[in-house]
Amino acid sequence: MGIGSEVEIAKKGKVECEMVQPLSGQAIYVVLLRELKRYWRAKARIISSMAQSFFFLAIFGLGLGGFIGRFGGIDYLSYLAPGVIGMGLLFGSVFSGVSVIFDRQFGFMKEMLVAPVSRTSIVLGKILGGAVTASIQGVILMIVAGLMGAFTPTPALVAGALSAVGVMLLITAGFVGLGVAIGSVLSDFHAFQLLATFVMWPLFMLSGVFFPIEVAPFPLQVVMLFDPLFYGVELLRWCLLGAGTPILGPFGWLIALGVLIGFAAVMVGIGAYLFSRAQV
Amino acid sequence: MSRISIIEVKALTKVFDNEIRAVDGISFTVDEGEILGFLGPNGAGKTTTLNMLATLLRPTSGTATVNVHDILAEPDAVRRSIGYVFQDPTLDLELTGRENLDFHGRLYSLKRDVRRQRIEEMLELVQLTDRADDLVKTYSGGMKRRLEIARGLLHHPQVLFLDEPTLGLDPQTRRSIWEHIQRLNQDKNITIILTTHYTEEADYLCDRILIIDFGKIVALDTPDNLKARLEGDIVSLTFKDPAKMVKIRPLLEEKDWIRRISVVASDNSHATMSHMMQMMRGMSGRVGIGGMMPGMDSGNVRGGGKMPKRVRQMLAQSMGGEDDQRGLEGGSKRLNLLVDDGGHRIPEIVKLADASEVVLESVELHKPTLDDVFLSVTGRNIRDERGSFMETVRRHRIIREARGHRVRG
Repeated sequence: MGIGSEVEIAKKGKVECEMVQPLSGQAIYVVLLRELKRYWRAKARIISSMAQSFFFLAIFGLGLGGFIGRFGGIDYLSYLAPGVIGMGLLFGSVFSGVSVIFDRQFGFMKEMLVAPVSRTSIVLGKILGGAVTASIQGVILMIVAGLMGAFTPTPALVAGALSAVGVMLLITAGFVGLGVAIGSVLSDFHAFQLLATFVMWPLFMLSGVFFPIEVAPFPLQVVMLFDPLFYGVELLRWCLLGAGTPILGPFGWLIALGVLIGFAAVMVGIGAYLFSRAQV
Repeated sequence: MSRISIIEVKALTKVFDNEIRAVDGISFTVDEGEILGFLGPNGAGKTTTLNMLATLLRPTSGTATVNVHDILAEPDAVRRSIGYVFQDPTLDLELTGRENLDFHGRLYSLKRDVRRQRIEEMLELVQLTDRADDLVKTYSGGMKRRLEIARGLLHHPQVLFLDEPTLGLDPQTRRSIWEHIQRLNQDKNITIILTTHYTEEADYLCDRILIIDFGKIVALDTPDNLKARLEGDIVSLTFKDPAKMVKIRPLLEEKDWIRRISVVASDNSHATMSHMMQMMRGMSGRVGIGGMMPGMDSGNVRGGGKMPKRVRQMLAQSMGGEDDQRGLEGGSKRLNLLVDDGGHRIPEIVKLADASEVVLESVELHKPTLDDVFLSVTGRNIRDERGSFMETVRRHRIIREARGHRVRG
């Protein structure tokens, strides 16, 4: 007695039945609502992630920008802004997805899984919630960058900014999906550091945030073209600056949009699948 | 009162990784409005059974119906029929009490008006109305437990599963949770299945008790009937020198009026065991203990060169062995005797002790409790204790390995 193996079973207890159940709008909505509430209450997290992006804009944009000056016809700050927004989106959404680990750790996952709703509804609510909260963060960054003078105020910018919001949702949906997939496979927080070092930072650095892809050596260019965030940042540049990298040609925005839609669809699919299979 | 069975379990079995029979072909029925308690040690299969009934785990074989819905064929209907209060907390600490209930109500698609009204009702029931809008992370343990119970009831389930409802709570809070459970059962006629390893909890709350051990049902009856099985009295002997217990035992075994002798594991030996488990957990991966556990007996414990000396000593001590006759008795100072007409036999027992020069520290007489019943039906006396302890360690080890540390405890 007192050895605690049943506690272990309960904690590690495989909750494994896969249910064939219809999607429930109500269930998706309630999980989304929870994400929004939790996001709104974690003020420290919102502030610190925004401050981080602000430092990038202020220090690199103004500091390094003063040294580099203009290139490709635009200010370095303007060049940098979409990329920093992309960074905010990336980190916000991956962590939001990975938070399924916390739900498991703190037991709330069981409350969701024993309810008469499908896992797919739960995971879609989770992904939608992560996409919306990370995009809210992106919008705030966009406004901050705008106030710093990163974008030329024209009537076209209004339309561009509105489309940018749609683009943000698309980018974040893909990366929350990635986060959920990772969170469903990883078992604990200790892998967080690895995740940041080997997944998130490379995705960020290779997305063409700091330097245009044209100046990179050919092998690096190839690697960058495999970074989904590269296309996200491209599309944000099209929206907010009216042009993208020459490498993708005059219809670069269309290519970027296609890649992003594909990435989001695949990652949401993989995330939902791994989540449904995960053991609690 | 007419009895309709609301849960029917047929040969339910769960085998983990083709090896561990966590639940081994159990069958029973539960009547509507009944409080049934699963009593068993950790690892007996209580939670696994509940998880299968709650459709969270798929049985390896066998099936069950809950509220006439089959757990395999109609999991959704089963889920709507049950409320499940898990052993580990499952509240969202970043939400308020009310929001936790609201989340639950929406998940079970309760309409807005119904939801609001029931949330108020439930908050009232568990006396949390005035704290409803505080974040759950500010709640005490008892309040969280009450909120979880309220949440489990929000969708008006016919059956409520309570997994160790009072684990780790102080006696006062435990008492108040018991009262809540009883009131629910009486006022709302909710069938309740709870798991516990507190015998007093099972005794106090349950209409019937199902004793489960190593995945099998070893007894199922009302608390009174279970206790009545042990006709006679329990005489507890505490020895000054535990080693001397060995001397008096054969003499006691000769007496035909002593129907059963069991060694009561003392807190001390219990502490040793759990300490050992801690150490083994800490070492897994570093030394080769995992690999040698399955076939372990006292022989290769002493021979196990890979194990640190400290662990080897502890293992040997708690398992006993040819050169250390003290064995488990080394940790325990108490013998329980099931005796006909115990009061009159005490003088005789004391004489016996004197004659064999064993010093008794105390002699106690009491009517059989569920603890004694448990001891008697699971057959945990000195002879089996060694084996069953090692068996438990082995199972524990295997379960951990089988799960591959996928989720941290």
